[in-house]
Amino acid sequence: MLLQLRGWSSSRTLCGKSPKLRWLRHNSSYPLDRFAELAGRPSSRHQIYQSVSTDPYVNLSIEHFLLENAPHDSSILFLYTNRPCVVIGRNQNPWLETDLRLLHNDRQNGTTRADDESALYVRRRSGGGAVFHDEGNLNYSVISPRTAFTRNKHAEMVVRALHRVGATNTSVNERHDIVMTPDDASKGPSEPPSRKVSGSAFKLTRHRALHHGTCLLDSPNIHDLGRFLRSPARGYIQAKGVESVRSPVGNVSSAFADSFLSIPAVIESVVEEFARLYGVHSDAVLRARRAHASEPEIYAGDSWVTGTVGDIQGEQVPKIWKGIAELRSLGWKYTQTPRFTFSTYPIDEDPRERPPLPPTLPSSTRVFLSLKHGAIIESHISVSSDPSIASDQAARVHEALNGRHLHEIMLSQWTEILRRGLDGTQDEDDGFIRELAGFLDGLLGG
Amino acid sequence: MSVARVVRPFASRLLAQPSTPLCRAAPVLRFPRGSTRSFSQSPLAQLKKYTGSHEWVELADGGKTAKIGITEYAAHALGDVVYVELPEADLEVQAEEPVGAVESVKSASDVHSPVSGKVIKGNSVLVDEAKTINASPEGEGWIAEIEVSDVAELDGLMDAAAYERLLKSEE
Repeated sequence: MLLQLRGWSSSRTLCGKSPKLRWLRHNSSYPLDRFAELAGRPSSRHQIYQSVSTDPYVNLSIEHFLLENAPHDSSILFLYTNRPCVVIGRNQNPWLETDLRLLHNDRQNGTTRADDESALYVRRRSGGGAVFHDEGNLNYSVISPRTAFTRNKHAEMVVRALHRVGATNTSVNERHDIVMTPDDASKGPSEPPSRKVSGSAFKLTRHRALHHGTCLLDSPNIHDLGRFLRSPARGYIQAKGVESVRSPVGNVSSAFADSFLSIPAVIESVVEEFARLYGVHSDAVLRARRAHASEPEIYAGDSWVTGTVGDIQGEQVPKIWKGIAELRSLGWKYTQTPRFTFSTYPIDEDPRERPPLPPTLPSSTRVFLSLKHGAIIESHISVSSDPSIASDQAARVHEALNGRHLHEIMLSQWTEILRRGLDGTQDEDDGFIRELAGFLDGLLGG
Repeated sequence: MSVARVVRPFASRLLAQPSTPLCRAAPVLRFPRGSTRSFSQSPLAQLKKYTGSHEWVELADGGKTAKIGITEYAAHALGDVVYVELPEADLEVQAEEPVGAVESVKSASDVHSPVSGKVIKGNSVLVDEAKTINASPEGEGWIAEIEVSDVAELDGLMDAAAYERLLKSEE
């Protein structure tokens, strides 16, 4: 135990257990490389961090590190904002939940270090549905003991924080999301009864509960973020796992027609509500409120840690960089996908009527794929209207497709595989081989 | 598996019991589960064990394999299960390591293996009907069947009565 004394604590010298902690001072600044040690320190019961990184892989991995390594009885608030990205739930399907064509293509060259401005595709470790993030979206994350946890506890905490800054028309709904209900006077005729401003997801471990949520404060993409979450292959895919529930969304800022919503004010308000909920030491709150710095810094008192974190922790803390590498890996992003089928015609598991095929393809074209862990385990691809030829074609295509990971099949591979499998058709048929490859690539790759 | 390995799990209990290991071991191999419930000193009453993270493990007759799942309490607390991540066959797990995961109401929860071993199979019923976990968490809704590497590990787990007490204390 650390002494609850102001000023220098010399008792550590006498105990002499850890030379590093010898000169621990109440409420002092620490070098950044002490972050992991302070976060895991048994006395660090309250921790408040903000991230200066906008990299979703870094922020989710710092969060996961805190979930796994902070003391079991601690309560932690972590606030961060990500660069534009689509984040799907742990048990979701990227081909169904996103439009991969609009997102940074990490499949082409196996890298997720996007230097371009395009939005990233991310699979998180918690459950729930797909959401869009950008710089106008504040993410809050509370990690607390599992025993005292309820699914609404922290959404309600954020609602109190929003009320405090003036967004008094926000409330928690039955899906543990935060919605905004405009007063009747300001409602247009086509306006939904409420708009979702925050979505929640949870990860539960043996002793700990993580609740993280988005909060659309002032997203510049609010009117068209749905396009990132609309898959062109939706009408063809039947998937196990978790399907997103679509809701109309809104910005909290839209309730402030004549005034200004400041994101730092919301952050400060969330910190205050967290401190009130968990009885955090006032010194910690003071430090956390002042943490607007763009450079990482860490402060700690006897029972608390607060500060700004970022990419540097991703470089310094091995458990965090391992977490980042896992989230960035194509294995996690694509092969963690629950089983699914893709079919251009009605099948037993998915009897829906299908969208018409492109008119440039023979009407006898059939494409069926069945995937497990993102790899093709069954398929039927044929173009012939003659059943026995079609069956031969399908068998040859399957030989080339069997076991292949869908995310590794680009346009050129589709063309090559189809050419090999549908061989025996006439030369002039190469046109619709390329057509079919383009059609599949457009729906499944892009 | 040798008789000696089956004997070991009960060795620690022998410290408090005046019988010899062989006497205790024999019934494990011969009697079907449940037939000696009233005989409280019998190892058979210990075939099903529980963890503090709300999993159960139940040894099959012969004591080489076991089924693993989450408890009634856990299934109720998690709410409607929408997806179960099953382990692949041949996965080697250590006790307390994840052997699967369950998603319910936007929450992903790891399922920890109560004992070390090698996965024989996941319960394929859960692929199509994840809700089976809610309907029958300690029966049809088992999550994995594993080949137990050291039956002695069950000794360190809670029996039904101890688990019951844990639930009471957590209320």
